[in-house]
Amino acid sequence: MASTVIGAGITIEGEVSSDEEVVVQGTIRGKLEAREAVTIEAGGTVEADITAGPLSVAGNVTGNITSSDRVDLQAGARVVGNVKATRITIADGAQFKGNVDMDV
Amino acid sequence: MAQPRSSSSSAAAHAAAAIGPGSRVRGRVTGDGDLTVHGRLEGEVQLRGSLFIDEGAHVEANVDADALRVGGTLEGNVSVAGDVTILSGARVRGDVRGASIALHEGGELDGRLDSEFTLPRELGGGGEGGDDNHKKPARR
Repeated sequence: MASTVIGAGITIEGEVSSDEEVVVQGTIRGKLEAREAVTIEAGGTVEADITAGPLSVAGNVTGNITSSDRVDLQAGARVVGNVKATRITIADGAQFKGNVDMDV
Repeated sequence: MAQPRSSSSSAAAHAAAAIGPGSRVRGRVTGDGDLTVHGRLEGEVQLRGSLFIDEGAHVEANVDADALRVGGTLEGNVSVAGDVTILSGARVRGDVRGASIALHEGGELDGRLDSEFTLPRELGGGGEGGDDNHKKPARR
């Protein structure tokens, strides 16, 4: 089961923390902390610092990203912020402004 | 893994909104569509849609929604345009206002009920009993 889904019409202003997978179709402003995978779908908006396991972005992120695993910026993604991760992919068509720290 | 869904405002996408059992939200939750809480939510909820608080879930928030079903714990005042259902095993602490309020056997309510209703004839009202029997005008 996709455990936590912030639906398309939903806005959360505050703090989201989770031990399970999180899917964002709506909006989060504040802070997002997850131990497992986070997926920000097209149309989803996160204006928050993100700490996560594997992170996949097809929507909008404004904030710094820290991942214990990989970060995938997919086509259509728009990310403004720094990314710290062990692996990162930026797809053709993804917009990204920020620094990458791969801890080498 | 979650399947990528279209971000259209389809009923399916709305129905999927959920805060899972391992998740905690602190802050303000607003929006259109239904939301199910299996985990913890602290803050405030304003929803044009129905809110379902599942068994085992814990919500500390004032709730403003179209409809509300509680199977878990809710601490906060409730203002609902439609129906409020407090299920067996649920615990609600706060004032509850709704168009109709159902308190199932085994559900706990500590607060005030505010709902328009007609007293059944036996209790001196002119109303048509039946459907109103499940509405408890009591104050505890």
